[in-house]
Amino acid sequence: MGQKQETRDVIIEAAYGCLAHYGPSRTSVEDVAQAAGVSRATMYRYFPGGRDQLINDVVAWEFHRFFVRLYEAVRDAETLEEVIERGLFVAHRAIKEHEVLQMVLRTEPEALDVVLESEVASTRVQISEFLLPYLERHELAPGVEPGEAAGFLSRMVLSYIGAQGSWDLSNPEEVSRLVRAELLAGIVPREPRTLTLRQI
Amino acid sequence: MNSSAARSLHVVPPLGAEITTNDSSSKRLRIIDAALECIAVEGIKGTTVEDISTRAGMSRATLYRIFPGGRDAVLGAVVETEIARFFSGIAVAMGSATSLEGVLVAGIFDAATRLSGSPALSTILRLEPWLLMRHVSFGEMDRLLSVASDFAEPFFARWLEPNEARRAAEFAVRTLLSYVIEADVDLDLTEKKSVERLVACYVLPGVEALQRAE
Repeated sequence: MGQKQETRDVIIEAAYGCLAHYGPSRTSVEDVAQAAGVSRATMYRYFPGGRDQLINDVVAWEFHRFFVRLYEAVRDAETLEEVIERGLFVAHRAIKEHEVLQMVLRTEPEALDVVLESEVASTRVQISEFLLPYLERHELAPGVEPGEAAGFLSRMVLSYIGAQGSWDLSNPEEVSRLVRAELLAGIVPREPRTLTLRQI
Repeated sequence: MNSSAARSLHVVPPLGAEITTNDSSSKRLRIIDAALECIAVEGIKGTTVEDISTRAGMSRATLYRIFPGGRDAVLGAVVETEIARFFSGIAVAMGSATSLEGVLVAGIFDAATRLSGSPALSTILRLEPWLLMRHVSFGEMDRLLSVASDFAEPFFARWLEPNEARRAAEFAVRTLLSYVIEADVDLDLTEKKSVERLVACYVLPGVEALQRAE
């Protein structure tokens, strides 16, 4: 079992390397087999769906790695404001600088379809669960329920990670303004009293 | 206000309207509506030129005369027409709102109700949702936000400065899209009360905070 997992990982990593070097349209099952040092028969044993399955699995693998890296970057943030600001800033930059993603978007965006459709909802739930303790520790505006607020925030966070619209998320001041207005204005009390709370 | 904006959006007649201008524009609409009906049954991938021309009651040759680009051209026209119909419908709801909160509620509620009531869109969401995801992510989402904000901005301009109106429009569109792409078990945007709560608790405070911050 451990052996099998290893071979699969080797193939996935080789496929990711091929994608990065040649682009999705010029990555074939043969190229990946050669790069991974496995036979075509082995390739089809692990990826019976051929090239489509291979590309989908590589995209899903990198999708998860992306969010693991994001989690590592924000997990030690102390306040609700800080965790969302840092998360948006880091994620936006990571997507802009993600050469493989940008190349796939330019040349074969349909390679993302299946993964976006199957993974976005579960990722949103994970973001919501991650934010919940931050909300439970934070002073909230009257009538705001932490679970519902975490749901709304996870939706907005994913929306802004996917597309910044008219905001400039590479500018930390804009990120801070966005978070304090659109994301948190209804959730935290009008005058944030983080300082006083910390003194207690 | 906004009656001119609303009027200018009425470039595409509603479904089933009589077209008497000329023969080819009436055929064009017949093809578009036939394609919509096909999509509502088979989805996008399962809809062929043959299906569309049969349902429209005309030959394939006639269809290609009106849409030389074939299937892709018809599908492009379907999207364009549906968007125009969609916006002209929402314009009426938003134009008659009497407060900032009212225009947010009207826009989100009306848009969500129209989207969930579209047989073609429901079939796509059920059979082939991955075809939509690309359009609500990354660069495509930026374009979509921009088009939708261009439309919604004038309706906010009565209560907000131009730059605030644009931000508010974009924020509302973003919120709407998030709940359309992934329905929420607790917040059903086709229920007025849910939209009122969403707007009062999250969207309106955000817009008001933008006003203070700009």
